[in-house]
Amino acid sequence: MLEFDGLRKSYGTNLVLDDVSFTVAPGQMYGFCGANGAGKTTTMRIALGLARADAGEVRWKQQPVDLEVRRRIGYMPEERGLYPKMPVVEQLEYFGRLHGMNTAAARKSASLLLEGMGLGERSKDALEKLSLGNQQRVQLAAALVSNPDVLILDEPFSGLDPTGVDALAANLAERRSRGVPVLFSSHQLDLVERLCDAVGILAGGKIVASGTVGQLREREANRQLRVVIPGSDGRWARELGYVRVDSDRDGEVLLQLDDPGRDQDVLSAAMASGPVSHFGWRQPTLVEIFRETVAA
Amino acid sequence: MSHPAGVVEHTADTSSYDRTGDVRMTSSHIVGLVARREILTRLTDKGFIVSSIFIIVLIMGSVVFQVLIQSGASSVSVGITDGPQDFSTAIEEQADVLGLDAEVTEYDDESAAREAVQSEEIDAAVVDGNSVLVNESLDDALGAAISGAINGLTLAQRLTDEGVNPDILQPVSLEVMSLQPAADAADEKGLVAFVSILLLYTLLIFFGQFIAQGVVEEKASRVIEVLLAAVKPWQLLAGKIIGLGVLAFAQLLIICAAGLGGAIAFDVITVPGAAIATVVQVLGWFVLGFTLIAALFAVCGALVSRQEDPQTVLLPMTLILVAALVLAITAGQNPNGTLAKVTSFVPALSTMVMPVRVATGSVAWWEIVLTVVLMLATIVAVVRIGGRIYSGALLGKGGRVKIRDALAAERVS
Repeated sequence: MLEFDGLRKSYGTNLVLDDVSFTVAPGQMYGFCGANGAGKTTTMRIALGLARADAGEVRWKQQPVDLEVRRRIGYMPEERGLYPKMPVVEQLEYFGRLHGMNTAAARKSASLLLEGMGLGERSKDALEKLSLGNQQRVQLAAALVSNPDVLILDEPFSGLDPTGVDALAANLAERRSRGVPVLFSSHQLDLVERLCDAVGILAGGKIVASGTVGQLREREANRQLRVVIPGSDGRWARELGYVRVDSDRDGEVLLQLDDPGRDQDVLSAAMASGPVSHFGWRQPTLVEIFRETVAA
Repeated sequence: MSHPAGVVEHTADTSSYDRTGDVRMTSSHIVGLVARREILTRLTDKGFIVSSIFIIVLIMGSVVFQVLIQSGASSVSVGITDGPQDFSTAIEEQADVLGLDAEVTEYDDESAAREAVQSEEIDAAVVDGNSVLVNESLDDALGAAISGAINGLTLAQRLTDEGVNPDILQPVSLEVMSLQPAADAADEKGLVAFVSILLLYTLLIFFGQFIAQGVVEEKASRVIEVLLAAVKPWQLLAGKIIGLGVLAFAQLLIICAAGLGGAIAFDVITVPGAAIATVVQVLGWFVLGFTLIAALFAVCGALVSRQEDPQTVLLPMTLILVAALVLAITAGQNPNGTLAKVTSFVPALSTMVMPVRVATGSVAWWEIVLTVVLMLATIVAVVRIGGRIYSGALLGKGGRVKIRDALAAERVS
């Protein structure tokens, strides 16, 4: 278990993290969401020892994360950084060795990763000669080269084209299947929704929601019932005394119930007014959950 | 806090990677890895190689220049046509007394000698016993040598004619008793020390820039975030200093070996033992001085934000080195003066002043010990405090970092 426990951090008078706690289980992909400046990067940098928490700690397997543990963490910082003039394979090998691998293992892992990313031919080129997308791939490879026990990736998907996103997602899934906990931050909530087992939403330095996407949906307060009766207007719904109509367009009505138990009554009323082509509780997207929780 | 209920729990708490080949990450291993990277990077960097060769050539050139200046015994060539027996020997002997190295050639007749003078094969030709042919004017010393030779021979001839044994003209050889027998050696030690100091200064400035530049590069490219997640700042700092130090020391050895060898071969130095001792001593000071100066340069480099403006932050460092050089030269002229004595204890300055004092003046053993101890203490302090400044400043994102802020931003480990 990778545990973030009661992290608190302020820069001057500016409180950045206010009692941030959450847990990433082995083999779990944890999506870390939040607006710009919500404190995601600070949280991750504290885990890597690059910033100091005023209070709280980060633990891995019940032990506070120290340098020894950090060597087993693969890290991709938000501001990408590698040696611009150093040949790609040499840098990966170097990072592998700095994380405790022997020369042969680091060399092998570096070439395997580069080949897997389609960069085998470019492995002797200096990093700066590569396209930005390929540099991003190498950056990920630098985080993965030591086969880390934990992955902490800050905005790993930003700047990737759809192919790159799929390749990275597949790579992370492979690591997850080996029992590696993966924590990554992202603005792309659709991606988080698609990839993650669990999600944490950070707002104003606090975790405002945390859990699986399903759990977050259930917790969602304003659940909507979606009823489609092609060709009809929404008058049938507005005439019901126990619902509130959120929207009514082209026969599609979104409504909320004062008492969710009366959904079957709504169905009967709908069928009475015309042929119902769709009836069901609407699944809020993570974007909507995010808006909801952050606004709350 | 409340843990979210129902997170997906996996039974395995360890990943399935093979860790049997892993290396124990001792500090020396990590420092070694960093140093190795520095060395390999520099050795494949054209800029570094070209400037290194340039420095070596520059220093060799100045040694050769010294050789030319020092080997002052100028040589002359003289032609003769006829004249008394032993004439050529007499000219050579007279020239030698006057500090000239004369080479005498005999020509068949005057026109052959004239031709040789015109074609500048020889400096002067003596014809008809007492006429001298030259292109423009006769060198005073050479003239004195020739007339001395002619006069001597003529006098000997007249004496013989008068029945006197010319051997009475044999000069009395002087016995020289030097009141300061080691003066020669001290002079040479002084020269070697001075050349070495110049060398030290050049290499310190050169490698200091490279260290600072390397630090700025790591900061500007943000690779520092990835590095410091796995490595302690002082380990990174030490690795850099050692890596570049090895290169600098290798360069210094090449220059010293070639310079010393050349100087001995060309007779600039006649007391090789003393000169070698001075060079060895300078190498020792170099190790201490380099470590300190390199650490200071690295910390300064860390305070810079972009690749463009290291010069402003590095200026104080450069000034310290220039001051040390000036003080060392002053110490060479007055090795036992108060200024030389005081500055030979001040860390950073002592790197250059002390070797000059040791070579040219009289230094008590405890003075050397004190200087070394002060130097070592400063190195430890700079690397420790420097490590904190280094990490604080490196992880900072903005522009120029103030030392106070850098110290305040100390990280967890």
